[in-house]
Amino acid sequence: MSRIGVFVCHCGLNIARTVRVDEVVEFARKLPGVVLAEDYKFVCSTPGQELIQESIEKHRLDRVIVAACSPLMHEKTFRKVIEKSGLNQYMLTIVNIREQCSWVIEDEDKATEKAKAMVNGAVYRARLLAPLAARFIDVNHDALVVGAGITGIQAALELANAGRKVYLVEKGSTIGGHMAQFDKTFPTLDCSACILTPKMDAVLQHPNIELLTYSEVSEVQGFVGNFNVKVRQKARYVDHEKCNGCMACMEKCPGKASSEFDELLSTRKAIYIPFPQAVPQKPIIDRESCTYFLKGKCRLCEKICQQGAIDYEQQDSEISLQVGAIILATGYDLMNTEALKQFGYGSYPGVYHALEIERLFNSTGPTDGKAVMRDGREPASIAILHCIGSRDKNYNEYCSRVCCMYALKFAHLFKEKTSADVYQLYIDMRCFGKNYEEFYHRLLEEDVKFIRGKAARVTDRALSPEEEGKLIVEVEDTLSNKFMRLPVDMVVLAPAMQARRGVEDLSRIFNVSLDKNRFFIERHPKLDPLATHTDGVFIAGACQGPKDIPDCVAQAIGAAAEAITIIGKDKLELEAATAFVNQQICCGCQNCVQVCPYDAPGYLADKGASEINEALCKGCGLCAASCPTGAITARHFANDQFMAELEGLMQY
Amino acid sequence: MIQIEKRLREEAKRLLETKEAAVVLAFGRGFDEEHPMPLILRKPSDAEKIVFNEYCTFNMARHLTEFPPGTKIAVAVKAADSRAVTVLIQEGKVKREDLIILGIPVAGMKDFRSGTAIDATTTGPAVNPVLYDILLADLLPEPKDVSPYDVLAEIEAMSPDDRWGFWSAEFSRCIRCYACRKACPLCYCETCFVDQAKPRWSEKSPSASSNMMFHLTRFYHLAGRCIDCGSCSRACPMDIPLYLFHKKVSKECEEMFDQAAGMCVDAKPVMVDFKVEDSDDILL
Repeated sequence: MSRIGVFVCHCGLNIARTVRVDEVVEFARKLPGVVLAEDYKFVCSTPGQELIQESIEKHRLDRVIVAACSPLMHEKTFRKVIEKSGLNQYMLTIVNIREQCSWVIEDEDKATEKAKAMVNGAVYRARLLAPLAARFIDVNHDALVVGAGITGIQAALELANAGRKVYLVEKGSTIGGHMAQFDKTFPTLDCSACILTPKMDAVLQHPNIELLTYSEVSEVQGFVGNFNVKVRQKARYVDHEKCNGCMACMEKCPGKASSEFDELLSTRKAIYIPFPQAVPQKPIIDRESCTYFLKGKCRLCEKICQQGAIDYEQQDSEISLQVGAIILATGYDLMNTEALKQFGYGSYPGVYHALEIERLFNSTGPTDGKAVMRDGREPASIAILHCIGSRDKNYNEYCSRVCCMYALKFAHLFKEKTSADVYQLYIDMRCFGKNYEEFYHRLLEEDVKFIRGKAARVTDRALSPEEEGKLIVEVEDTLSNKFMRLPVDMVVLAPAMQARRGVEDLSRIFNVSLDKNRFFIERHPKLDPLATHTDGVFIAGACQGPKDIPDCVAQAIGAAAEAITIIGKDKLELEAATAFVNQQICCGCQNCVQVCPYDAPGYLADKGASEINEALCKGCGLCAASCPTGAITARHFANDQFMAELEGLMQY
Repeated sequence: MIQIEKRLREEAKRLLETKEAAVVLAFGRGFDEEHPMPLILRKPSDAEKIVFNEYCTFNMARHLTEFPPGTKIAVAVKAADSRAVTVLIQEGKVKREDLIILGIPVAGMKDFRSGTAIDATTTGPAVNPVLYDILLADLLPEPKDVSPYDVLAEIEAMSPDDRWGFWSAEFSRCIRCYACRKACPLCYCETCFVDQAKPRWSEKSPSASSNMMFHLTRFYHLAGRCIDCGSCSRACPMDIPLYLFHKKVSKECEEMFDQAAGMCVDAKPVMVDFKVEDSDDILL
């Protein structure tokens, strides 16, 4: 006969207010197999824990039931307590009489009866508990960081500085991400390149970082501590081992295309580096604009290259990596505003989006830093339209969080570089970060005109002579309740920050879920913001949701610390309460394979049965619940344990 | 039907001769014309044994899972049967490339027990297969304005108590012969949950509570998978209208997840799929 100890918690008044705890204790004391039942005001407190420990020794308990709060809160606490007393930590059952009972039932009698029924069920179940052994696996000490914008760069540097080998994979031909495109950064107005390029160079120079640009992760297998990653490196047609970065090829190249880095406002060559401080400082050939690839003739770059680095025959290659942890820092896309016809982007040359303005301000940009329009004129009046596609139920309901601040920055820079009138058309000014509000106040004094209202439409149809030749922004000033027509030369849109195109592929490859806006979902919005539901895969930066640079950097450092908690270890303890398949009765329906969020079950075609990789299994029990034949047993939540608990609940 | 029989014989013979298929699943003669039997052919010469008439109502997809993986199988399917094949492919029980699907567009099938026509009351109204490689007859016009769920009106109008009474009475007649399970193309578990001893989910001999347990669990296991072929009901010696329950579950699945079972090879069965935009109505 088992020797069960039942400990009922008052949780102050949280439980005791509606559940008559002494009555539950009396009831428990009489149940078969229960040798001790006690109550305590806070069982989780040190004296409460000591009570359990002493009782285990004194009464030779072999099973412990704690009737208290959700196991999410204190299951780990009590597991440690009973383990210290020499019991296996899985000989514990938590009965949640707080969230599932006292908090949801007002009537004292009903709550007390339910608590008793639940304790009865737990006693039935506890009799069938079995000890489980913890298992350990070896851990690979290297890490993978995907995406080399500011977030990925920072995360890689942190890990590398901690002495870990880091593979930094970047889809583009240079690292730096969107931040490299920016001119100044709010609210300090320091030059983006000046603070970013030292970090880019540090990545290149760091002995612990292996930089894989122009590369994408194509497959991830394995599990926390032991991921096998396949990376596809796209053909650059330039052998970067041989290239010395002299750039002679770029001068002679006749092929031209629009510069993606300059948001198509300037041209680049077919063999190119995106911008002067690109890392690596070595060019690639763009097949789409290369004269040789288009017409079969040219090969000028090959002739000019003294290193013999040009290789038109280069193919995509595949690299296999082994890492222990992965950080996703894949960033965002700016919303394409051409679909929002009412704002005229794409139809009126005077309408710009935010990244174009960044490039206009930049001294290495298409206008060498002059704030002039596509026709070369300096604008005499500028309207900055906030919340284009953000905070808008038709497009994205969320706030993109950075636009208010960069709109202020733009206003300041326009004021600095031109003599234009600058208007801000805003819903609310959201300047929540450190020193942000102060920056807003600074701008209020810089003769920038603030109109509280979301722009409705941009048109070139003039209704009066002073509107001739202008773009007219229609807006309701919600402070004066007046409808306004605002004639300006230049319109700047602040489009939403959106999840990247192709993020569905990343979601599949890394087994990380997406929210309804297609951003990656964190494990817990408050208490676990960087982890995902796949152990060992972390997220940081704008791939999780719109963020400014300080937040991205903070998350990068946090994610690196999270990764170190895994790759810093030699061995990793695995959850013991995993599931296993009885292959004799498995019918091979593969429900388990389909429902598992962790990819733990696999189907063995030759056996016609499934098998569960216990290193991946988290013991959630979905597979066991969906198994039609009952072939899957979730340890610690086995079918017979469940049935016993149900029996106990119903027999009460 | 004679034409279909002829074509079926030709194709079976050809496929076995050319070894494109190792096995052909079709229909053969039983003890008389009105009682055809499942026929599994391996030799071209056996093709002459194939029959096809209005009583060939059983679903040959039932037998697809009985062969070792990799066996090239040709299977003759009618409208609903082809949806069962689709579900089996979705669930990985058979591979699309291992199958040669002989599609039979046909209307006017009859229940061999009553001799009456089988209509949308007990099966789906469709007359054309949804998935096939070779068509054995021209496609037929699909019947219009017929819903497989019309028959549910009466039972849906009942009060919950009446409905419980109705099903309790129906299931109390069950003799637990498991013919429904045997006829079902998607009940392919080798060890059914009722046959397990630990834990014992349900008693094996008939009783009111264990009959309810068996049928409700079986309905649940077929939720979002049942393709409404009606085989279970036709197999039932006690004439329990199992199709009513299956249809009701299918209807709910269709309404909630906008997907009927077995219509598309690339779809995932709804009960093992999760989408963020899934209806919350599934929660009680």
